[in-house]
Amino acid sequence: MTGVDSATNGSAAAGRVAQLNPAAIAVYAFVAILAAGIVFGAFMTPGFLTINNFSAILTSAAFVGIIAVGSTLIMLSGSLFSISLGTTTAVTAILFMFMLHSGVAAAAAVTLLAGTAIFAIQGALVGLIGANPIIVTIGAGAIQEGVIGWLSPGDITPPPGAGIDFLARTIFGLPFSVYVFLGLALVLDLCMRHTRFGLELYLLGENQPAAHAAGLPVALLTTAAFAVAGFCVAVAGVLIAGFAQNVNLQVAGTYTFDAIAAILVGGSAVTGGWGSVGRTVIGALIIATITDMLLLVGASTGMQIFVKGLIVTVVVVLLHLARRERRSP
Amino acid sequence: MPDTPLALEVRGVTKAFGPIVALNNVSFTLRRGEIHALVGHNGAGKSTLVKALAGVVSPDQGEILVNGTAVTLASARQSQEAGIAVVEQELSLVPALTVLDNILLGRVGAGFRSRRDDRRRVEELMTRLGLADVGPDTVVEDLSMAERQLIEIARALSRDARILILDEPTATLGEREIKRVFAGVRELASAGSSVIFVSHRLGEVLDLCSRVTVFRDGRMIASRPAAEMDRESIVELMLGKVAEKSKVERRGGGAREGLVVIDRLSAPGHVTDFALGVSGGEIVAIAGQVGSGASEVLRALAGLVPDARGRVSIAGRPMRLGAPQRSIRAGAVFASNDRKSEGLFLRQSVARNLLATRLKAVSRGGVLSPGLSASLAQRLAGLIGFDRKRLGAAAETLSGGNQQKVFLGRCLEKEGAALLLFDEPTRGVDVGGRADIHNLIRHAASKGACVIFASTELDEIMDLADTVVTMFAGRITRIGRRRDMTAADILAEMTHGATNRAAA
Repeated sequence: MTGVDSATNGSAAAGRVAQLNPAAIAVYAFVAILAAGIVFGAFMTPGFLTINNFSAILTSAAFVGIIAVGSTLIMLSGSLFSISLGTTTAVTAILFMFMLHSGVAAAAAVTLLAGTAIFAIQGALVGLIGANPIIVTIGAGAIQEGVIGWLSPGDITPPPGAGIDFLARTIFGLPFSVYVFLGLALVLDLCMRHTRFGLELYLLGENQPAAHAAGLPVALLTTAAFAVAGFCVAVAGVLIAGFAQNVNLQVAGTYTFDAIAAILVGGSAVTGGWGSVGRTVIGALIIATITDMLLLVGASTGMQIFVKGLIVTVVVVLLHLARRERRSP
Repeated sequence: MPDTPLALEVRGVTKAFGPIVALNNVSFTLRRGEIHALVGHNGAGKSTLVKALAGVVSPDQGEILVNGTAVTLASARQSQEAGIAVVEQELSLVPALTVLDNILLGRVGAGFRSRRDDRRRVEELMTRLGLADVGPDTVVEDLSMAERQLIEIARALSRDARILILDEPTATLGEREIKRVFAGVRELASAGSSVIFVSHRLGEVLDLCSRVTVFRDGRMIASRPAAEMDRESIVELMLGKVAEKSKVERRGGGAREGLVVIDRLSAPGHVTDFALGVSGGEIVAIAGQVGSGASEVLRALAGLVPDARGRVSIAGRPMRLGAPQRSIRAGAVFASNDRKSEGLFLRQSVARNLLATRLKAVSRGGVLSPGLSASLAQRLAGLIGFDRKRLGAAAETLSGGNQQKVFLGRCLEKEGAALLLFDEPTRGVDVGGRADIHNLIRHAASKGACVIFASTELDEIMDLADTVVTMFAGRITRIGRRRDMTAADILAEMTHGATNRAAA
């Protein structure tokens, strides 16, 4: 046994150097992608370096970003991610539209509560009985799509004079949703850094058996992480309803992938315990910037998806390599 | 059977891991058709020899001969080709597959043989092992542990293994099941295979084996016919000289009689009817080999065994088993024997690791107080003798000894903690760190807590315990004051045979 110890001591120096790797490589990777993208975009793309375009980037980052910052809690707590982010976004958007005849405030309250509850149930399944989060969220997504498709096929439009125009309003040149995104991100980031709940989520994501043995409330924490993500998804649903004016199950398009991509490109560990909400904000901005540039140069939808897929893959592989190097001694 | 030819000869094998010499010029011979026991206490070198024969570690010096020919065993495949098969304590069968598929799984160099031939061979093997009543199409998860153990042996034999190494095959088996496995092993030996039986259970060793080889501290100490040995003489050989420290009797601070009372604690398959009363300030060792149930007693008390049953009370208040949060609320704190996978949060800072179980105490209204966190982390660092400047370092950058101190430090001076449970508290810790950790544990006891630790190491038990509880096959074999027991007594109880002496 002591042999193992001395071996560890011997490579301690190497371990310390390698320890810089995940953070370092991840940060270098963002900076490189972002810088290269902006420089390329600035010089090659007519209309990139304009105030209007930056506002457009932030706007497109906002919806995905709101979903992504909430889902970051799921990933940091070690439960991977939800596969039904887009579905629940659409479901909550539809629910909000449907409830509008009872007034905006009531509709928003019901919608936020429903989004939170839908996710909390899935979190409880994952936390209490150790169900696989991917499978639970795929199943839950199918159930939601089925129920909505059954109850209300087709588009839903708001009743006349519903008073939801404010959701799409622009304040100081930026849409309402951008402020909501940044506000939520700030609150969640502070919460993860400075509250007992946040720290316990990190510990749970770092080592689930250890968290269990140490008496942390594993099931409750997992449920809470999902609940927060569900709340954020419902917020995105409400904002999209206000923005789109008519909603259906397809309204959230590729949001599931985009939100997961934002978290991964931000560099948080897929397996949990390491990363931050702030990183996800950066990830969402990177994805939005690149999407914007591809739009400006007139890339096809296929090209956009291809580039996003490529970036996610490269970042995930880089992070994996960095961590493996650090673990190897 | 001194005239039968040698199946295996190990000549002057030495293997060192860094400064630790695990095998020191070891020689060992195994005759054809022999069942040969390999015994020795922890760290004696048995498992290193087994690993060398399995092709997992390469010796630094010496040679290994199979049937009189020198062989190189640099990989598991070469070992398999030399006709050596190791059956591990942890079974490697796939529960969802049939017996036939499990036996054929991962076979090397079989070429293409018809399924019918395979089936016939497997049926033949199973009949030889006394498993004729188990069909080759039975799914493994429907079999008993003994049957699985025998299937594992059948798998080794299907690869034409002539030298079979059984590493603690009986640790998880009941008495009747053991008989069944032994019958199969005897059958093999009489058909000309050679068996090395690695075990802590001396009763079984004497029952099954024709020859006994004893290792101690990496050396071969003795190799004699089993008929010339008994339990006492083997224990004596295993033990050599253990320093019988005349330890100064520790004064417990304000001993509270019966602070912790455990009655009829059972963990199905691991522990049966464990009962113990512990006073405040007392340090109790549960001495038992792997599989004895010592570790599971602590895990059950920590709430980590969902189906554990029994009555436990701390300071007169009953504690319900089965959930770690309940145990912690009742005042029981547990440190696992596996600090890496069930203890530390390796990528998190030392400070976070120290505070992980008492975040409530350092937060106000759910918000962490940097001041309270820092002062508590610094106090605990001082207590465990850890450099305060390194509180921000990730736990994984520490040495094994420091990691263990941080892990145990988390359990210390916790408000309301009356029962400290340490499973192998110094596993993977060097000599200096070990002394420090022992002092920490003594200090915790002197503040009035009950300490129960599980250990397989006699030095540690002799050094630290006030009371020793020995366990064998899930039951207590003896409870006594440490000062009334010798290391030999404890080892004899840990390696108990079939009898169950009443608690002293």
